[in-house]
Amino acid sequence: MIKFLFKGIWRDSTRSKFPIIIVAIGVVFTVTITALLTGVFSDMIDMNARFSTGHVKVSTLGYSENASQNPLDMALLDVDSIIENLTEQFPGMEWVPRINFGGLMDLSDENGETRGQGTATGQAYDLLSKDSKEVDRLNLEGALREGSLPTKSGEALVSQKFAEKAKLKIGDEITFFGSTMYGSMSFQNFTVSGLISFGNPALDRSGFIIDITDARQMLDMQDGATELLGYFEDNKYDDKQANVIKSGFNKTATDSTNEFSSVMLTLKDQNDLRSLISFADNMQQIMIGVFVLAMSIVLWNVGLLGGLRRYKEFGVRLALGESKGAIFRKLLIEACLIGLIGSIVGTLLALAIVYPLQEYGFDISGLLPETAMMIPSVYRAIITPSTFYLGFIPGILAMVLGQALSGIGIYKRETSKLFKELEV
Amino acid sequence: MEEIISIKNVVKRFPVGDGFFTALQDINLEFKKGEFAGLVGPSGSGKTTLLNIIGSLDTPTEGEAIVIGKDISKLSHQQSADLRNHNVGFIFQEYHLLPVYTVYENVEFALLLQNIGAAERKKAVMEALDWVGLTHKKDSKPDKLSGGESQRVAVARAIVKRPAILLADEPSANLDAENAHNIMKVMKKLNEELDTTFIFSTHDEKVMQYLDRIVHLKDGRIEKDEMMKAKYGVHGAH
Repeated sequence: MIKFLFKGIWRDSTRSKFPIIIVAIGVVFTVTITALLTGVFSDMIDMNARFSTGHVKVSTLGYSENASQNPLDMALLDVDSIIENLTEQFPGMEWVPRINFGGLMDLSDENGETRGQGTATGQAYDLLSKDSKEVDRLNLEGALREGSLPTKSGEALVSQKFAEKAKLKIGDEITFFGSTMYGSMSFQNFTVSGLISFGNPALDRSGFIIDITDARQMLDMQDGATELLGYFEDNKYDDKQANVIKSGFNKTATDSTNEFSSVMLTLKDQNDLRSLISFADNMQQIMIGVFVLAMSIVLWNVGLLGGLRRYKEFGVRLALGESKGAIFRKLLIEACLIGLIGSIVGTLLALAIVYPLQEYGFDISGLLPETAMMIPSVYRAIITPSTFYLGFIPGILAMVLGQALSGIGIYKRETSKLFKELEV
Repeated sequence: MEEIISIKNVVKRFPVGDGFFTALQDINLEFKKGEFAGLVGPSGSGKTTLLNIIGSLDTPTEGEAIVIGKDISKLSHQQSADLRNHNVGFIFQEYHLLPVYTVYENVEFALLLQNIGAAERKKAVMEALDWVGLTHKKDSKPDKLSGGESQRVAVARAIVKRPAILLADEPSANLDAENAHNIMKVMKKLNEELDTTFIFSTHDEKVMQYLDRIVHLKDGRIEKDEMMKAKYGVHGAH
């Protein structure tokens, strides 16, 4: 019977063509937008994890509560020992120290006189250790626009945007003015070894990157760090696992009455990512719901028109001994077949759109020149396993729903009037 | 001869406004297996209503209609559908073939409803098409058939499941004289070979001349019930 129904759908283009087109269009939109949203949010999460949040992050309670002010006096000390304990407690995780700091950058002319000054946001990473993965994690090679990465103490990377504004060149000397973690004044000279651009306005505005050993010396925080970032071995964020680790750590390490006690946060606990990710999930569900509803209404009307056109056919089938329930069920099977075909066509078309978006993306940096959010400047879609089946949910559901609504008329038909109805 | 349809004191009323219209009044009839009979009368005489009741498409308001041992009034919707599916064939004046399917598939459809296996289906369909002389048109679509051919396909579709009863509503209404005679000859032949009970609703003289029995209806009552052939041992009204 399925084969018989399929033949009918295949041959009767008015029964199948328009619904298939409608379903395919809906599926294309659903799949493309979902893949794009997934890609954008995955990139956003990945970027936050790499630069700012880690998959989990350890800091002091005081630092965590005032992180936006970079309170160096609340930094972690004895970091090597903390890392050792964390590695023992949570094997498989990688822990890296980071120092975020701020201050003033002084630029001198050829005579050593100040020719300009500007505020600088600095990050200190482990750039010089042999076994450090930070250069790769931060994609510094990829972000390097000119010069080279620091190879020795006293070298710094400066954001290309800042360098252009301040007319800095490779090899120029800059002086950083700030305060140590104990509040004393601190200043140190650095040689610009390279200019970088991450493509993110928040990172590129006044970025200044140095090795963590230089930062520790400059800020008088030996074996200290403002934060310890933890990464899963496979480099993929696992919220459930992150929460297990967080609970395990905080149970023993956090003392709410002691601002110097350590506290662990998961990626989602930071930078409003939890609400952002829930928003993304909700958006996805709302979008599927909207498409199911919109397509169902269109397909309901298509079904009603088709039902009118097939009115006599249903009458004959009732007379031949097919029950109303059987006709209705076959209509739903037809709807499933049409929905399936439309979903396959729509998914293939969507993949053709999504693939270039995944490979090349589109640059939105021009639209957000001053954003402080940690978002990627190039939006990319991402093809995940769900990309291949997600469209089938609204595709088949809408078609079946539309057909079910329009098919209710079958039950309203009186068999006693069949002969009369079929006379003309 | 085995009795296949028994209509006793059947009354059918339809609500009209505040009152009722009586379409059938005190009908008493019996049809035996293998009869080739017709319900004849002008429009509004009740012949289609009676055909509806025999075909389990409708139920009597009063009285009893027993078709192949089943009381039509007591059947559920599903049981009525089953009765039609297995025991009753219908032929309509407009043929009503499914336009997207071939001749073969249109005939096969009746068997698909009975979940009959592919090999058995094929044999039965080809046999039915052979009965109506259309095996050479099995792959044609209905829009490529003449009126006479379309009605023969409709006959094949009705007969392929070997129903005990075949109900034909004005089967010649859209046919020219030659095709009307041809289709009646085909049905007469099937009646004789398969012993299927044929009941026609008609006012076409061309059809009537083939009937063995004619039940004349007027204003919802049986006006005359006459045997036309010696087949039943009677020739004339009873």
